[in-house]
Amino acid sequence: MFYREAGQYKATYEADSAKFPIFQDKLFIWAYLAIGFIAVPFFGNEFFLGAIMIPFLVFTLAAIGLNILTGFTGQISLGTGAFMGVGAYACYKMTLAYPDVNILIFIFASGIFSAIVGMFFGLPSLRIKGFYLVVTTLAAQFFLEWAFIRIPWLYNYNDSGAIEVPQREAFGIIVTGASASAEVRYIICLAVVVIMTWFASNIISGRIGRSWMMIRDMDIAAELMGVRPLYAKLSAFAVSSFYCGVAGALMVFMWLGAAEVESFDYNHSFEVLFMVILGGLGSLLGCFLGAAVIWILPVMIRDWLPPIVDAITPFTINSSQADLVSDIIIGVMIVVFLIMEPLGLARLWAIIKQKLRVWPFPY
Amino acid sequence: MNAHDTSFHGRMDDGIEPGKALLHVDNISLSFGGVKAITDVSFDVLKGEVRAIIGPNGAGKTSMLNVINGFYHPQEGSITFRGEKRAKMKPYQAASSGISRTFQNVALFHGMSTLDNIMAGRTLKMNKNFFWQMWRYGPALQEEIEHRKVVEEIIEFLEIETIRKEPVGTLPYGLQKRVELGRALAAEPDLLLLDEPMAGMNLEEKEDMSRFIIEVNQQYGTTIALIEHDMGVVMDLADRVMVLDYGKKIGDGLPEEVQANQDVIDAYLGVSH
Repeated sequence: MFYREAGQYKATYEADSAKFPIFQDKLFIWAYLAIGFIAVPFFGNEFFLGAIMIPFLVFTLAAIGLNILTGFTGQISLGTGAFMGVGAYACYKMTLAYPDVNILIFIFASGIFSAIVGMFFGLPSLRIKGFYLVVTTLAAQFFLEWAFIRIPWLYNYNDSGAIEVPQREAFGIIVTGASASAEVRYIICLAVVVIMTWFASNIISGRIGRSWMMIRDMDIAAELMGVRPLYAKLSAFAVSSFYCGVAGALMVFMWLGAAEVESFDYNHSFEVLFMVILGGLGSLLGCFLGAAVIWILPVMIRDWLPPIVDAITPFTINSSQADLVSDIIIGVMIVVFLIMEPLGLARLWAIIKQKLRVWPFPY
Repeated sequence: MNAHDTSFHGRMDDGIEPGKALLHVDNISLSFGGVKAITDVSFDVLKGEVRAIIGPNGAGKTSMLNVINGFYHPQEGSITFRGEKRAKMKPYQAASSGISRTFQNVALFHGMSTLDNIMAGRTLKMNKNFFWQMWRYGPALQEEIEHRKVVEEIIEFLEIETIRKEPVGTLPYGLQKRVELGRALAAEPDLLLLDEPMAGMNLEEKEDMSRFIIEVNQQYGTTIALIEHDMGVVMDLADRVMVLDYGKKIGDGLPEEVQANQDVIDAYLGVSH
């Protein structure tokens, strides 16, 4: 009833192709941004920001990266974790070499290294697709993990083999290291995610994004319309890896504080892939929804399920058993979504919106 | 026409006079292993004409189109398009030289809307780089809007305004064929290849499609080569007809000549031995 576009006429093509053509949508976006930038850091405590919101944002960014490749270009990749690692190690090496440079610059610059590596491992996609491509990206995963262990220069010859984030400032505020406050780290993550989501949506709605989707939907016809598969696929790999690299740098510098090779193993690749599948292939909103479900749901179950079970049943469970419950729930959800709604939560959301638009008269 | 002019002309300016050969196919032979798909076929397509390629199933018609737009590379023979003899060429090179086509079994981009599908046909006309597109501002937005205007002209021409924003996967078959024609037109081709544009259509849809093909040909002067099985349509639309059978050319000429050709009649009706 309140969500209705009646009376909102578009007089220009510019207005017609706007991201949020319906006025109410614009309102909601500004409301979400206000909540994200003001209310959450104001009311959230250290745990909520540090253990829920920051990882949620990091995984959202990684999911956007993978979605560009898998959802929009149709190239499945299992190298996400490794590409995140490239970003993290690149950022680490750069900030050690130039400690005085604003760390935010390095976080974005680390994406460039990741993009170059991603493009290199994207080369096989010109010849092979589907499962075979999955295998080659998995090779990237294992090769890069090997590199993170066997090349001590990458972790600066630390005895522990881990990278530890030094304290760095940006604009006179401490943003990384142990003494950086969760609010500051959260705001930085949110700003990066918002800006990069906006860029992603712009690219996707333009010529380059369209050429990615052409390759995904019908590569033969795409070639005939003048899309060069070499450029389209490699640019998708580059942009995707750029996003993953920035996400990896954020993950270590804003969330974990220290990381070793296990932080970038193939479990992460799978986790991000599940976020993309559950959230919705080919949807930016889906990346947020998928990351929220796969990251926040287990945290909530771990915290809330044991007391509930204690209170209403004669049994007691501990938090590691609660983790198993969330594994089961997410596993079932993935199976159900693959069968019932392959386009994920984002598609469900679109259906709800469509129903709301015509409510209460379905025709 | 300068390179930055984005208004719709229907086709590029190729500098070839009407009535002269736009495309020359000389002694093409194509085989897949031991299977000879095309054997020593030569023909030409004159600028501004509607050229039909007919023949029984498996005669090599679609293979011929695939050779022309670079999917298949013939073992022998050469192709001259717009006066340029081409060696091995990739499909996107054929596209940028002004060849566009539709497919026998609709090859639309199913995840995209009608509008985006036709916009996809404009890919080669757009050139703003990544960094402008990232901001979707200034030149990139300008370019997007200009091409949207062109696409709207095509949408109006094909009378598909109401399905502008529908995902093409949900459209009925006849409309999908029409959207595919729109996508091919959006590239403003010199040579438009249509692979069975009427296949599986009812009479009314066939009439609509025929009307669009004639209008494209007459209004924009686009040269058209089409494959079609509906003989009524072929004889009405085509200026000249080439007949293939088992990869060999068995007839070529005006529709009446081809209709009277004994080899063609034998190929279609069979011949008693």
